[in-house]
Amino acid sequence: MRSFMKKLYYDVKKCLGCKSCELACSLAHSLTQDIFKAIKEEKKSLPRKKVHSSKGNNYPVSCRHCKEPKCVDACMAAALYRDDQKDMVVYDQERCVGCWMCVMSCPYGAIRPNILTKLAIRCDKCQDKDEPACVKACPTGAIIWCEEAEVKV
Amino acid sequence: MKQFVIIGNSAAGLSAVEAIRSRDKDSKIIVLSDEEHPSYCRCLISYYLAGDVKKEKILYRPESFYKDNNIELILNKKVTRVDPKKNRIVCQDKSAFDYDSLLIATGASPKFPDTKGIKKTGVFGFRTLKNTMDIDGLLAVTKSACVLGGGLVGLKVAYALKKRGVDVKVIVRSNQVLSQILDPEAAGLVKKKLEDNGIEVVLGEGVSEIIGEEKEIKAVKLDSGKAIGASLVIVGKGVSPNIDLVKNTDIKTGMGIISGNTLATNIENIYTAGDCAESFDLTLGKLAVNALWPVAVEQGKVAGSNMAGEKIQYDGSVAMNSLEFFGLPTVSLGIYNLKDLQGYLELKTYDRGANVYKKVVLQNNLLVGAVLVGNINSSGLFLKLIRERIDVSTLRDKLLEDNFGYPDIMDLVKDKEKLYV
Ligand SMILES: Cc1cc2nc3c(=O)[nH]c(=O)nc-3n(C[C@H](O)[C@H](O)[C@H](O)COP(=O)(O)OP(=O)(O)OC[C@H]3O[C@@H](n4cnc5c(N)ncnc54)[C@H](O)[C@@H]3O)c2cc1C
Repeated sequence: MRSFMKKLYYDVKKCLGCKSCELACSLAHSLTQDIFKAIKEEKKSLPRKKVHSSKGNNYPVSCRHCKEPKCVDACMAAALYRDDQKDMVVYDQERCVGCWMCVMSCPYGAIRPNILTKLAIRCDKCQDKDEPACVKACPTGAIIWCEEAEVKV
Repeated sequence: MKQFVIIGNSAAGLSAVEAIRSRDKDSKIIVLSDEEHPSYCRCLISYYLAGDVKKEKILYRPESFYKDNNIELILNKKVTRVDPKKNRIVCQDKSAFDYDSLLIATGASPKFPDTKGIKKTGVFGFRTLKNTMDIDGLLAVTKSACVLGGGLVGLKVAYALKKRGVDVKVIVRSNQVLSQILDPEAAGLVKKKLEDNGIEVVLGEGVSEIIGEEKEIKAVKLDSGKAIGASLVIVGKGVSPNIDLVKNTDIKTGMGIISGNTLATNIENIYTAGDCAESFDLTLGKLAVNALWPVAVEQGKVAGSNMAGEKIQYDGSVAMNSLEFFGLPTVSLGIYNLKDLQGYLELKTYDRGANVYKKVVLQNNLLVGAVLVGNINSSGLFLKLIRERIDVSTLRDKLLEDNFGYPDIMDLVKDKEKLYV
């Protein structure tokens, strides 16, 4: 079984800003899972991770599944909640009304609104896969998927 | 064993209950509400009226929540008086409860102006699930409705009525919609969106009378003399804190119940949180009532933790509103409109083609407010900068750029970065 304690870390020195992670993320969350078909989907899958550049470095940004998540406190539809066992913030899309309270309260700017689907775009750590798609897609190994104690560069 | 009594079964009350229970599994917790329903998502009642949210989804916590957490929930119980000297609360039906620690989280109620005819059947506030069901029951025979007030609640109910096929007009006294949260530019964009989608907005008009029989409204008469036909009127003129139960007690009140920075009132074992509480506002630098869902939750959490023995300080609240009408996301934070305020600086961009308007308000290099329409991606970062009172002088040129992101503020915020290695 997949370890629930693993998190995404980033070796910033290795990140080229190529955005392969963004592409892989969109694809992994598309309906068709096929790159040529995915770009034609009516409600196109948008990346849950965005690479931002600052002072010459590149930083992939996505939901950190905070221990004290502001988005959960702000969610007026009770669509977001923290699952401590899985160590993540879980999103019940069925309950979401698209009020964007989570977007407004995320201190990392890691949640964006998808206006077409009225759903929040946020990392789900690729729950249904053995590891997140961005990790596999990164050509330089800048995205590290491990437990906190194991982080080393 | 300690006995906690919580008056209010909504955002603030339940967040306090959860904070207490995460620290104290055994003490007795009694939650009282004067409503008939278990806790529901108050902010979703307009979505429910519109038919966008089904009844099962409106519950805020599963039905088993109270039992699972060993909480005694008492519905339909109106508390009429708090007696701090006896550590006791008294209810309308004369029943009474003793407490060791009390939270007053009674929220707020719609304000009704004293307009002629406002007491007629067919005039509603819009605050509770009961209001919603009463209105819902009339829609089959309602062709046209007027909403008095262009605040968030008024516009949301207008959207719901429109969605249900009712012809709806919103009558706003000021010269813009959402004057309590948006500047005129942003408000203009929202208004256009509403009108493009069939919701008519009348600005700069007061209502002088609601015309019709006692049990059947016919029209709403404006100050200008004009009458607008309507058989249903919804009043969205803001809310006032529910504080009658502490009137003539030693508990200090202003607009709301005054709380210090632990969210205790001036009485040591009585706390307050949410829409009924007046607490320090970070951007205004003074006491204020921020009647908002996320504020109620964060205050409830601090109050509950402290009731259970913690010593958590509450930094203060920030006005924060997020709304979306017909695909136009809009966020307002802190100080949103300078009007005649001195000593502030506004930076703005407006991309007409893309329908994106962004503004930040600075005071001595601190970010103290923002308005975002069309692109709200930076709003969470702005809120963080406002909350932590961070000097943004090095960021001034970046704040309004589309690629403004967390890495730009990472070195300025309090928490040490752990993920970028
Ligand atoms: C239609 C609508 C839309 C909204 N949209 C938004 C939004 O988009 N964003 C946002 O931030 N906020 C929104 N709000 C405001 C938000 O709902 C409130 O800020 C929030 O509910 C406050 O929570 P609270 O726990 O302080 O009080 P409330 O939710 O008002 O709950 C008060 C509780 O106290 C109980 N109570 C009151 N008096 C007594 C008494 N005397 N005895 C016993 N029990 C009593 C009530 O039964 C209730 O359980 C909206 C509100 C409405 C009505």
